[in-house]
Amino acid sequence: MTTMAIRTEGLTKRFGVAVALDHLDLEVSPGEVVGYLGPNGAGKTTTIRLLLGLAKASEGRAQIFGMDCERQPVETHRRLTFVPGEANLWPSLTGAETLVLLGRVHGGVDGTYRDELTDRFEFDPTKKVRAYSRGNRQKLLLIAALMSRPDLLVLDEPTSGLDPIMEQAFRLSVHEARDRGQTIFLSSHIMSEVEALCDRIALLRDGALVEVGTLADMRHLKALIVEITFDGPVPDLSGVPGVTAWETVGQLVHCHVKGGIEPLLAVLAGSGVKNFLSREPSLEELFLAQYGGDGPVSPAQHDAG
Amino acid sequence: MIAELTGRKAVRSGVIWGYLFGASIASSAFSYTSLYKTRAQRGALAAAYGSNKATAALFGPAPRLQTVAGFTAFKIGMTLMVAGAVWGLLTSTRLLRGEEDEGRWDLLLSGPSSRRGAVVQALVGLAAGAGTLWTLTAVITVVTGSASSVSIAAGPAVYFALAMVATAVMFLGVGALTSQLAATRGQAAAYAGVVLGVAYAIRMIADAGTGLHGLVWLSPLGWVEELQPFTTPRPLALLPIAGLTVVTCLAAVSLAGRRDVGAGVLSDRTQARPRLRLLYGPTGLALRLTRSTVTGWWVAIAASGLLYGLIAKSAGSTIAGSAVHGVFSRLGANGTGSEAVLGVCFLVLAVLVAFVGAGQLTAARGEESTGRLDHLLVGPVSRTRWLGGRLLAAVALLLVSGVVAGLFVWFGAASQHSGVGLAALLGAGLNTVPPAVVVLGVGVLAFGLVPRAASAIVYSYLGWSLLVVIVGGIGAVDHWVLDTSVFHQMVSAPARSPNWPANGAMVLLGTFFIVVGGLAFRRRDIQGA
Repeated sequence: MTTMAIRTEGLTKRFGVAVALDHLDLEVSPGEVVGYLGPNGAGKTTTIRLLLGLAKASEGRAQIFGMDCERQPVETHRRLTFVPGEANLWPSLTGAETLVLLGRVHGGVDGTYRDELTDRFEFDPTKKVRAYSRGNRQKLLLIAALMSRPDLLVLDEPTSGLDPIMEQAFRLSVHEARDRGQTIFLSSHIMSEVEALCDRIALLRDGALVEVGTLADMRHLKALIVEITFDGPVPDLSGVPGVTAWETVGQLVHCHVKGGIEPLLAVLAGSGVKNFLSREPSLEELFLAQYGGDGPVSPAQHDAG
Repeated sequence: MIAELTGRKAVRSGVIWGYLFGASIASSAFSYTSLYKTRAQRGALAAAYGSNKATAALFGPAPRLQTVAGFTAFKIGMTLMVAGAVWGLLTSTRLLRGEEDEGRWDLLLSGPSSRRGAVVQALVGLAAGAGTLWTLTAVITVVTGSASSVSIAAGPAVYFALAMVATAVMFLGVGALTSQLAATRGQAAAYAGVVLGVAYAIRMIADAGTGLHGLVWLSPLGWVEELQPFTTPRPLALLPIAGLTVVTCLAAVSLAGRRDVGAGVLSDRTQARPRLRLLYGPTGLALRLTRSTVTGWWVAIAASGLLYGLIAKSAGSTIAGSAVHGVFSRLGANGTGSEAVLGVCFLVLAVLVAFVGAGQLTAARGEESTGRLDHLLVGPVSRTRWLGGRLLAAVALLLVSGVVAGLFVWFGAASQHSGVGLAALLGAGLNTVPPAVVVLGVGVLAFGLVPRAASAIVYSYLGWSLLVVIVGGIGAVDHWVLDTSVFHQMVSAPARSPNWPANGAMVLLGTFFIVVGGLAFRRRDIQGA
């Protein structure tokens, strides 16, 4: 049995009477890129702080590469680096000094790769941290975490404050890391980023996991989203099996199709279809469906279910 | 808008400090009335202290000591003046530069207020704070004065309160000015602190019987002395006080218009070549981050030590054999005149050394509260290694501070041929370290158990210890209360030889607190602000 990169068993954290994390069981295999999603206050940052030993668990345990996070913090930390969402750094040090310091503290820095990352992120290390914009401080933390090529990268909203070009640089770096066999645990609100990078996704709500699986798995459970534009009059699709939640806006029909598209296509043949668009739901739509209703509701909506 | 925000914070601070000021005045007055009941006793005290230059150098001149009013002014006056100045500069730098640096003013200044308008409003708020400080002090003084044993009229009481608050007001202005000049809050406070230090030094030279009494008009603290509340009031001295306040405030407002929000007039370097020597790990980082603060304290300790050494002989010569000797011995100082004076001076130096320790602890807590500690603890650094390294460095810095104190006192004393040896003075310097270790220990204990209150607790304990010793110097404090003060446990070397077993016990106590606090730290969550 391979040692899991991350493994939690019944991990629980209480702050007084409030339960922030409720018996969390999570596994991340080595070499995986896992996305960790949830609304604000779900317990994502709490999970990460427990994994990193910055907070102590009320119950249960967490292990990184087989070593207990609370009892063996130094050994576990040797194999991971962390990027927080808020860049709190030492204002009087320069970027270069911060990189050297963090490199010396962690050890194992690949100097060439560090310089390559500095170029890739277009980062000027000569300025003092207090003179950097928020985005630049975030870049500094990203470089610091990536440069030692750790076995596990723990990222908590790592690209907050980065422009789209730098977001691309980040994704490239994550791809490189994955190709080298590094494990990545990414907590993020940017759905497109998680969709693009992650093999598996875990959804957290109110301190408990509500769904874990690959994007394909999750899509399988949901409906396909279809948009049809008609030349002439809009036919009545309410009797078509599998069609749900359809609404009409002028000549455009928007609907969800579950369990196969063949019945719908059979009805549409010869109905004057001008345009037909179908797509799988995006992660954002899955997320919203999970946490806040099944997409936009309008008065023209019909439900054939 | 800004006036209201600043005013609220300043008034809150003013209330607390007004109460503290009032309480110290009241306790000085009442302990005097309970200790020196007869006219003969009071007359003897006045004769002994009155012309004494040693006490004048340390506490200011002492006219009319046979009255409650006169004695109270003498006893608590200098302490309140310095404390008020410190409050003034810390409050104004916090509410001007500090608020701006934290970005809270960005939001407000994007509206109709101009930068100058913002500073004016903030000054209004600070004035409200100063007014609160004065009102509360005055009320408590008047109430104290109405007691039959004390019997000070309301008018003089209010004037006295004004005198005590005068330095606070002046240094609110100084702090406002340095907030415009400096780039960060720390620098602003440091510049203002230097002004205070120089003012104190000039006043001290003027009062120490060196024949340079005219110098007293060069120092803001000297102006307050010249106000002479309770004796022969000279309201004329209010002119330079008001003058300095107005000039600094006007300068602050004018400079505010000339700079960017968040920056200072004196430009701050934003780029630098890497200096990597100390950045080898968490302890090196701690040294690098605190080195400017510690250096500042060392300069203060060295300068004070030098000054004390210089005045020891001339001040001490007026003590030996006089009745004041008895009072000095109650403060713990015996021996020859110079040694007796230095014994009391080393109490002040011990306070400065303890500040070094307290500062190291609050710096460590600051790393945790700002979230910077996370970056280190997420690396292969155990909590024990981080805290242990910082504490070892702190103790090493304390030892150096003690040596600096002893050494510079010797420089001053030897230049005047005071007859106090280097060994005795180095011993006296090192003697200041064990109390600082206890203060550090209290801080670590608080840091482990109640981290959000740790800074407040460590400085409160330091302040408490100092207050107890000052008030206890008159002798009307219970023995068990005296024992809680870490400075009371310290022998006043070189007036007496250091009590090394007692010092060892203090170091052990401090170490015990550190161990307990460290264990608590290991077990708790890392907590932000």
